[in-house]
Amino acid sequence: MDGVRVGKRLIGTQSPVTVGWENIPRVEGGPLKRVFFTWFQPAALLALIAFWYYAPNSIAKASTAIGIGIAFRVLLLALEWVNPRHESWRLTWKELITDLFYVGLGYTLLSIVERYVGADVMIEAIQHNFDWEKVAWFMGLPLLLQALLISFIFDFGQYWMHRGMHNWYPLWLTHAPHHYITQLNINKGAVGNPVELFLIGLGVGGFFDFLPRAALLAGTLGLAVGSYQHINVRFNSPRWWRFLFNTTEHHSVHHSQDYEGSRSNYSSTWIIIDRMFGTCVDGEAELLGMEGGRRMSVGETMTFPFTEAWKTMRAKLRKDRFDGPVIVPAE
Amino acid sequence: MAQHGKEGNGLSRRIIDWIWNIRGSLALVPGQSNEDAFQRLDPLFQEVGTSHERSADTLTFRKKNQAPQDKMSIFDAGVLQISNDAGGPVLHYRLKSRALLFCFLAPLLFLGFAQATVVIGQWEKASAQSSEKKPDKKKDVALSQHPIDAFLGAPAPEKPKKDKGEKAEDEDKPSPTAAYVFAGLFAALYVVGRILEGRLVRSLFRRKLLGV
Repeated sequence: MDGVRVGKRLIGTQSPVTVGWENIPRVEGGPLKRVFFTWFQPAALLALIAFWYYAPNSIAKASTAIGIGIAFRVLLLALEWVNPRHESWRLTWKELITDLFYVGLGYTLLSIVERYVGADVMIEAIQHNFDWEKVAWFMGLPLLLQALLISFIFDFGQYWMHRGMHNWYPLWLTHAPHHYITQLNINKGAVGNPVELFLIGLGVGGFFDFLPRAALLAGTLGLAVGSYQHINVRFNSPRWWRFLFNTTEHHSVHHSQDYEGSRSNYSSTWIIIDRMFGTCVDGEAELLGMEGGRRMSVGETMTFPFTEAWKTMRAKLRKDRFDGPVIVPAE
Repeated sequence: MAQHGKEGNGLSRRIIDWIWNIRGSLALVPGQSNEDAFQRLDPLFQEVGTSHERSADTLTFRKKNQAPQDKMSIFDAGVLQISNDAGGPVLHYRLKSRALLFCFLAPLLFLGFAQATVVIGQWEKASAQSSEKKPDKKKDVALSQHPIDAFLGAPAPEKPKKDKGEKAEDEDKPSPTAAYVFAGLFAALYVVGRILEGRLVRSLFRRKLLGV
């Protein structure tokens, strides 16, 4: 495969990647279907922002956000059924239960662990140790600006954590299992080793004092934009949307079997961060995964970072023993 | 006697192993040879990660790290056997699925998480009661609203309520609800999967045998 040059890199030399928006298929079907899948994303984002901006204080709380989050994901699952991007990414019963298992771990086991060692606990400890106060002026900014900044700063942190995972072996070991998925579906974002899911959840947004409503608005940006990273639906996302936001297309390149393709599009919500740092590739891929598309079992996903670390250390120790420092006789 | 014991053992095993095994049979077209039937089913066993062996009337297969795109991805091993019954040749199959077993056991795991959450909640409550209450350092910060938000009509932020006390503590306690919900979800999904996958594989075999 020749691949396509993007900046200094050749994308798609190992596995097919379509590069350039002009080469990506559009939604097919009747006019109603095309209008729906063109305007659904901006309309849902606008509706959710308007809801959180104007909802009375009695409704604007975390429990409502959880309810909306679940309902939105069920709706997106229905859209996967109606308008799949690729037939080969169709959700099967086995994939559904596997994905839900990881989602379930996030809601139960991980949420317990995060009570003790999560980002909020660490931020509180840092503030306590250094006698820092939270930055209170932030709370005086307009709500939407607060929300945009929280979302952007959090995503900025995620971008570097994610890029770090693709560049530093110990972090990669925690992230690698997530790259064994061979298709994108709405709950695939949860698939991975719990250590990685914990690391990627660490954010720096907590250093500011912000209005609770601003945090809910920032969360809705994650829901109404970030959710489309892993989804088997074809949308005609508007140009401004795909310039600013991460899309399924971007994220499918990130998950492609092509090594260079997988080292792109690291952000979660704001693809513009990738544009800032030169890691954005506008395109899409259907053939995803690692090792030619080998599916990683739940058991291996849970143990992979530890077993691989052990194997690497043992190999290194053995090598050191044989190639160890040459003993120079004393004069 | 030994034979009888073996049969009894098989029967008692069958009482349990329906959890992860799907059994079924499908009448072949009268006159269809074993060779022709297995030939038509052959593409199903040419998938990546699938190995299979064939004798005159039996096909056994095994799958490892099978791709989700594999039509029989849910199964990890199985036996397909053609017997000549009174009404003609019949394909009998027994297919083993770890995914079904996993889904059957998942509710127990999540019930375990729920119990752990309850225990942690009780432990936290006990340790909070035994330790002295620290003076709350947090000052009451007045929540201001930016003029733009007031102009656009967003509800004014409420000051934190002072009488939260115990209620807030209760809300902060780890809740086992999510774990119970997932336990219920997996129990329901098991029933759906056990019925659905049985039907899907039957229809897959039928379509392949008919060459549709």
